[in-house]
Amino acid sequence: MPTRKRDQATSRGGGQVTRRSVLKQLTVLGTAVAGGAAVGLILPRDAAATLTEPYDWTRHRWVYLIDTRKCIGCGFCVGACRQENEVPHGNYRTWIERYRINSEGEAHVDSPLGGERGFERIRDSGHFGKAFFVPKLCNQCAASPCSQVCPVGASYSTRDGVVLVDAEHCIGCGYCVQACPYGSRFMNHDTHTADKCTWCYHRLTRGETTACVGICPTGARIIGDREDPDDPINHILATERIQVLQPELLTKPQCYYQGLDQGVR
Amino acid sequence: MNSESPLWHAKHVVRAFLALIVLLIALVLGRQFLVPDSWGRSGWYRADNVTEQRAFPLRHGGNASCGECHDDILAELTDAGHAGVRCEGCHAPLALHVSDGDKIADMPVRRETSLCVRCHQALDARPTDFPQVHPREHVSEQGGEFGPDACFECHNPHAPL
Repeated sequence: MPTRKRDQATSRGGGQVTRRSVLKQLTVLGTAVAGGAAVGLILPRDAAATLTEPYDWTRHRWVYLIDTRKCIGCGFCVGACRQENEVPHGNYRTWIERYRINSEGEAHVDSPLGGERGFERIRDSGHFGKAFFVPKLCNQCAASPCSQVCPVGASYSTRDGVVLVDAEHCIGCGYCVQACPYGSRFMNHDTHTADKCTWCYHRLTRGETTACVGICPTGARIIGDREDPDDPINHILATERIQVLQPELLTKPQCYYQGLDQGVR
Repeated sequence: MNSESPLWHAKHVVRAFLALIVLLIALVLGRQFLVPDSWGRSGWYRADNVTEQRAFPLRHGGNASCGECHDDILAELTDAGHAGVRCEGCHAPLALHVSDGDKIADMPVRRETSLCVRCHQALDARPTDFPQVHPREHVSEQGGEFGPDACFECHNPHAPL
């Protein structure tokens, strides 16, 4: 075997293979590879869309507040969210639940079409002592279980306190949908990636309020900035009795509720 | 390779070295093509996505934007009973009607009782101080006939009181 190889080597180049020639070839190869990598570096990539409005995310921290005592269950928020964010039908980034609590303390909950077309009367309400609407959406948890389980880093928290999903990077495994204890995430029927409420990040960062807050006729939903001392939400959070959903899970929800009953999960 | 070459007895080392080089190249090139440009700039995610999310187009304009052309209707809305109601709730998002300041389509006008009852159908779950009716009873009490646009016989949706 060695003899045949030697013959080939000598017949091909005719010259001797020395340490110098091997090192020379390695150097040439290495340079070629480095050049290739450099070409890869300067290849054009998808340029991120540029925005003219300046926005410093270190100077804001968004919080959401829902006063369940003001919610009339009209469902305009659900429709506005769908149209603003192109949410496919059958998927909900926000929805309204109707709670009816009987004398035994048992909760009966319904949310037909997420409440998008309002609610109809149920004619068995004799046994229910109290009933109320609870709007739901992503709680944008400060310790979000959904982002923690994402295996590819497609789900993350922004510096201003919003949990977002990078649909381009999402592999659609659905772990985060399972991990959210509030049922706020879903697999988008159209994109087959994880989807959720963004608190209308495209609106907030341009100085607009969210679609759901903007459309609410009774002011049951508000959103505000913790970093802005003049924002009325800070006064409410500091002086009123507020609650979050399932505080025992230690997810630090950034969506606060007023007038929440103990039966609400 | 000549058997007298100094590398002859170290062939296995040269092969291992070459294999290592190839692996390193594959790693560098692979990372170059697979890891997004902005990865890790702000955390373990693609930082460009934040900009992409921000660039999503706005659809709703709010009542003030409607008032730029329809100030008379907005004034009517603000005066009598429906001050809190948002135009785009009963009609449609601004983006379906206006683009770059020009009208692109008619706003839908829905004279439908089904729209009114979303807020005003009497429900146990609604706050008791919110005005609500049993629509059929209410219409017959007023001597009307219940139909898909019964409410509008008496009420102007912009100034219902």
